[in-house]
Order: sequence, then structure tokens, then C-alpha cells
Amino acid sequence: MAEGRVAFQQVWKKFRRGEFHDSLRDLIPDVASRLFRRRRADELGAREFWAVQDVSFSVGPGQALGIIGPNGAGKSTILKLLTRILQPTTGRCGVRGRVGALIEIAGGFHQDLTGGENVFLQGAIMGMTRREIASRFDDIVAFSELGDFINTPVKRYSSGMNARLGFAIAAHMSPDVLIVDEVLAVGDFRFQRKAFDRLSQMRRGLPVVIVSHQLDRIASLCTHCILLDRGRIARRGSPDECISHYIMNGLRTEEAAGEGLPFAFTALEFEPRRPLRSGEWVTVTLRGEVRQVPPANLRLGLRVRALQTTKDVFVMDLSAREPRLSEPGQFVASIDLQANTGQGYLTVETVVWDVVERRERGRGPHGVIHVDDPDLVGTVNLHPRLRVETHGAFAETADM
Amino acid sequence: MTRVSTREPANSRTRDLAPPLLDSAGGSLPTSSTVQSWPYHPAVDDISDDDWLLPLQERRSLFGDLRFILRRELWTHRGLLYELTRRDIRVRYKQAVMGVVWAVLMPVLIVAAGALVRVAMAFVGGRPLVPQEVVGIAIKAVPWAFFVGALGFGINSLTGNSNLVTKIYFPREVLPLASTLAQMFDSSIGLGALLLVCLAVGVDFGLAAWWAIPLLGILVAFTAGSALLVGCANLFFRDVKYIVQVLLSFGIFFTPVFFEPQMFGPTGARLMMLNPVAPILEGLRLSIVYDHNLLTPVVEMARKGAVLVWSPWYLAYSAGWSVVMLTGGLLIFHRTEPKFAEYV
Repeated sequence: MAEGRVAFQQVWKKFRRGEFHDSLRDLIPDVASRLFRRRRADELGAREFWAVQDVSFSVGPGQALGIIGPNGAGKSTILKLLTRILQPTTGRCGVRGRVGALIEIAGGFHQDLTGGENVFLQGAIMGMTRREIASRFDDIVAFSELGDFINTPVKRYSSGMNARLGFAIAAHMSPDVLIVDEVLAVGDFRFQRKAFDRLSQMRRGLPVVIVSHQLDRIASLCTHCILLDRGRIARRGSPDECISHYIMNGLRTEEAAGEGLPFAFTALEFEPRRPLRSGEWVTVTLRGEVRQVPPANLRLGLRVRALQTTKDVFVMDLSAREPRLSEPGQFVASIDLQANTGQGYLTVETVVWDVVERRERGRGPHGVIHVDDPDLVGTVNLHPRLRVETHGAFAETADM
Repeated sequence: MTRVSTREPANSRTRDLAPPLLDSAGGSLPTSSTVQSWPYHPAVDDISDDDWLLPLQERRSLFGDLRFILRRELWTHRGLLYELTRRDIRVRYKQAVMGVVWAVLMPVLIVAAGALVRVAMAFVGGRPLVPQEVVGIAIKAVPWAFFVGALGFGINSLTGNSNLVTKIYFPREVLPLASTLAQMFDSSIGLGALLLVCLAVGVDFGLAAWWAIPLLGILVAFTAGSALLVGCANLFFRDVKYIVQVLLSFGIFFTPVFFEPQMFGPTGARLMMLNPVAPILEGLRLSIVYDHNLLTPVVEMARKGAVLVWSPWYLAYSAGWSVVMLTGGLLIFHRTEPKFAEYV
């Protein structure tokens, strides 16, 4: 068999909102127009919309493509197009070789059958032969950790047992291409780890397509990434670029620095611009202008949060640290941070904080720090140091 | 050969409900040195052997389609067909008190009902009930029960497995076909029971009884084709299920199960035999009970004239129907299959 391959060539997919035919009154003209007038595939009819617009990519052996984007961006549609469940409206797409789809891994289970019977059923649905399943049956049962429960009907299983068995079956395929959709949330923490390790092992040398909202998984598994927005590719590049772009612009939905605030921002820059090792220093530079003397209750702050948990790692009151940030004029504030965290993403946000009302009054630019270090778990102390430059003068404040 | 069209589909309304989330990059991106080109963009990527890309470019002929279904879909997925059939059979007998008795009960009920009708007819007609008539009913009841059962399960085979249809790819033909095969298993239990009863009662099977094999083959093909069609139709229009259920429950009055077509006179008999299932059932009765070679016609003299009870053309008629239904069913199913996941 030829080596596995995944391709999407200028694929467009049209869907329809609402019911297909609400009534007979709706159906008859529709059928009539279809009979007498061949509608062009690329025209949009009433209530139709493009779920996927002009998406192209190709994944070869050893490459792993991550697909990210907000809900409704078309990620699942793309997976369905890939797995031949849907056909493109225009364009061509497909997978060469045997597809190992880790999608709905327990979807073929019949509730009345025992776990063992379902192994054969689900395996066959996934494209394994009976002989293959029989030879791997013991491994599958061992991997699923179900033990004697394998002879119990699946309807008596807990949801974790169900998912574990499903993953165990999928993990014992020998596919040419791997397609993964949010399946790593399987069972408890320990089993998730096991599933993740197994997946990392399986994907070696295969073309892989992964769809997930777990961005750190995408970052650690993928070699390429595309960011979808409403059916279009908004960005393609390395996982880091796409994830940063996604997070940053995703956060932007909230209004930017409001008018009438005493601060205006021009940029938030990071040096170095690459994923950091744990413990490495990064310099965050905020450029802007103090338009007028801010009222005492308004403070310029820097807030660093963990992406996954959205919990504050730390918040720094820049105005309190540096009185010159209360004087009108241009400023450049550089903050050195030591990324003493484990693998993951940190969002860096500039906020205008009202200390009296205890709420955010406005927001400045945001950025993302990616710590890509599988070895260190790290502490959460970022050892922040602040330097402020005003009117060309430069002063460094002591370590805080 | 890749078809490349950079032209945007006309009228591609960009929905301007909200400002585009991802267009405004701004200058503050830590990785603003963007890599927009990508080594595997298809513009530079040459895919020479593209026969695995969908949709397939060349429009195949009907025959080519059929070969594709049989070879690339059904034959390569025969293991799946086997597993799904096994599933359907197992599920029927799981947590069921009656177990295998179910398989026998349905034909027994039909035979009992038929016998009752025949007793009444014999009483009204003022003639004795011949045991061969009851055996004839029994022989026709099992295939009829098979036909009804297979369609009943086949019609739900796609809608009942919508989680599979929308989530996992495999040739969907296997679902209605598995229902038919599972019903075949059920009916062969009934058939086996019937065979035992026949032997016990003392029916001697002649050489013509071998006709049962091609006749049952025709029936299975016809049933499989019908199951494909109704399963597929029910996916698009859910009321098909109710129509077919009504047709099947009243179909027994329009099919010679309880009676023989010649009871309706010369014209009536011919009309009765227009039902594609009728010649199969009549053929079974004649060949098994009366040891009649189906290649020779049977003409019976009745009050209103000569009634054609059997003609070899009837056999050809049914066989023709089953070929048309099976190939038509497979082709229609195959051609509508890409739409299944969107409509189910």
C-alpha cells in the first residue's frame, strides 16, 4: 500500500440553515427548481451558507496538522469531509491509505452487547478484520483495564469504562493515516496520560490531523497548524504562531482601551519571539503614551494569566511601581519576566485598573508567552523586574 | 490531474454578523514574523495519483458503479457486514425470555391464521380441507414472514444507526443488508422447524423440491433490494416507514399466502401473480407440495374456464423483478449515499 496522505484542494462546503423542507409548500418548488434548472454548485441558495470556504492543505507522512479555531469555525466539518462522511460541494479532498479515525471511538457500541462483543463490532466498523481484532483482543482488554467487566453488557459500564474501551480499540488499529478529534479526554488523569503516550507512539511516521480545543496538546503534538475562522483559513503556520494568534485575537473580543482613559497604547512586544524554555527570561515591552495626568484611582497594570485555567499568575501595578507613568508623555516600559512555569501558555494583558471601584476600566494590547519545556514543571514565581524609560531617560528599578 | 480553480464561488456572502475575529493582527503579536507560505500548500504540491480524492472526477457508468459497490465497498467490508449481522441477531435474542422461539412463533401464527381461513373457506365451499393445503400455507408463510421481517428491520437500519451514519465512514449498504441477513438467520430457524414438521407429518419431498433453492435466492435478492430502497427512502422522508408498515400488514391480502391465485378465476389469477412475491410463493408451494417441475405450466379447469396456475414465465417475471430491485436499490442507495449524513 502506498504511504498515507491527506489532501484538501480548494474545498468548499455548503450547508443549509433550518429544516430541509419545512413543508410541502417548500418542497415542491425546491424539487421543481432542481429538476428544471441545474443550480450551479457554487451558488448559494436561500438560507444556505458556506461552512468551509476554500480550504486547502496537505499532510504527508510524519507531519501532524493541528486544526484550531472557535466553535463553529468548521473544524468538525473538515474532519467529516476527510473521513468521507460528507462530500465537498466543490473542490476535492481525501485520505489515501487506511484511516484511523479517533472520532466517536465508542460510537459503534451496542448497549446490549458485552464489552468483548463490542470490541469486534467497533473494530469492524473502524475497518479492522476479524482476524486482526482476534489477535489483538487480549491487548485491547489489557489496555482498557476492564478486566472481567469485558463480559458485562456495555450499558452497565460507567462513561469512563466506555471511553476507555473505545480508545483501546482505536489504539490497536494499524492505520496509514491518523485523524484525531478531542479524544484525549478519556477516563481519569492516569488513563489520559496513557492515551496520550499511546497516541504519540502511534502517530510516528504517519500523517496526522488533530482537532482540539486543548491548545497545549496541539502545540506538543503538531508540526503544522491552521487556524480556522468561519470556514476560512485565518492563518497557517507553526502551532505556536496559530495558537498565539488565536488566543490573542480571541481575547480581543472585549473592547480595547476605551476612549477617555488617560493612557493610550501603541504596542506590546516580546523578546525573544519564540517558545521559551522553562526558566528563561522574556522581556515584555509596552509602548504608549500618558495623555494626561491620570486620576489617583486609575492604575496601569500588567496581568499574567495561565491560559488553561485563566487564573492570575501575577498582577503588577506599574503605576505604583513607577511614578513617571503618571506624567504625561510617551513611555516605554520594559518588564523582564522569568518563565518559571511548566509547559503551557501564559497570556500577558495590559489593563487599566480602578483601585476604588475594584474593576477593570480598560484594556491595552495582549500577548502570549509560550513555554515549551517538557522537562520542567517549574514554580510560579516569575521574578518580575521593571524598567521604565521616559523622555529618553532610562532608569532601572530594583528587583521586586 | 488536479482541477484548480482559484475563482471564488459567486455570491459567497461573508457573514458580517460580527467583526471578523481574526483579521486584526495588530502589532503586538509576539510572533509577528508570520509564515504565510507553507511547504505543503497544494499550489506547489503535486498530487499525481489522485484517484483517492473525492469526489471522483470521472462519472462512472451504471455498470461501473455497480462494480465499484460490489468490489470496493461490499467485498472489502464483508467483515463489517458479518459483524453487523451478528450484532442484529445477538441483540434480538439478548434479554429475551422467548429466545429462539420468537423465530418460530411468527410463522406459526401466520400458519394458524391461514389454517383458520382455510377451514372457513372449506366450510362455506362445502368441501373437506385437504392436509396439503395447510402444508402449502405453511410453506408460503415462512418466506412471507421473512420478507415482512426483513423490510421492517431494514427500514430502520439507517435512521436507527444515525450515530454511525453521521460519525463514522463505512459503506452504508451494509446496514440494510445486515438486517436482511439477520432476518435470514431467523427465518432459517423457522424453515428448519417447518422441515421437521413436514417430515413428521409425512410429506415426501420430490426432486422438484430443489426448486426451492433458486426461488429463495430470488426472494432474498428481492428483499435485499427492497430493504435498501426503503431504508434509504426513510432516511430522507420519515413517513415512508408508516406507509411501508401499512403496506406490509395489509400485503398479506394481496399476496397468495392464505389462498391460491386460481381461486380468483382466469383474470384474477393473472392479476394476483403481478405481485412480484406471488410467483415465488406459488412456485414454492407447487414444487414442494405437489412435486411440480416449474419449467412446465399448470392449467386448471374451473367453472369460468381454464386458469393458468403456473407458467415458467412467472418465474422469469419474479427473477426479473429481483434483479431490477437489487441493482436499482444498490445504485440508488449508492448515488444518494453522500447526502445521508446531511439529511439523517
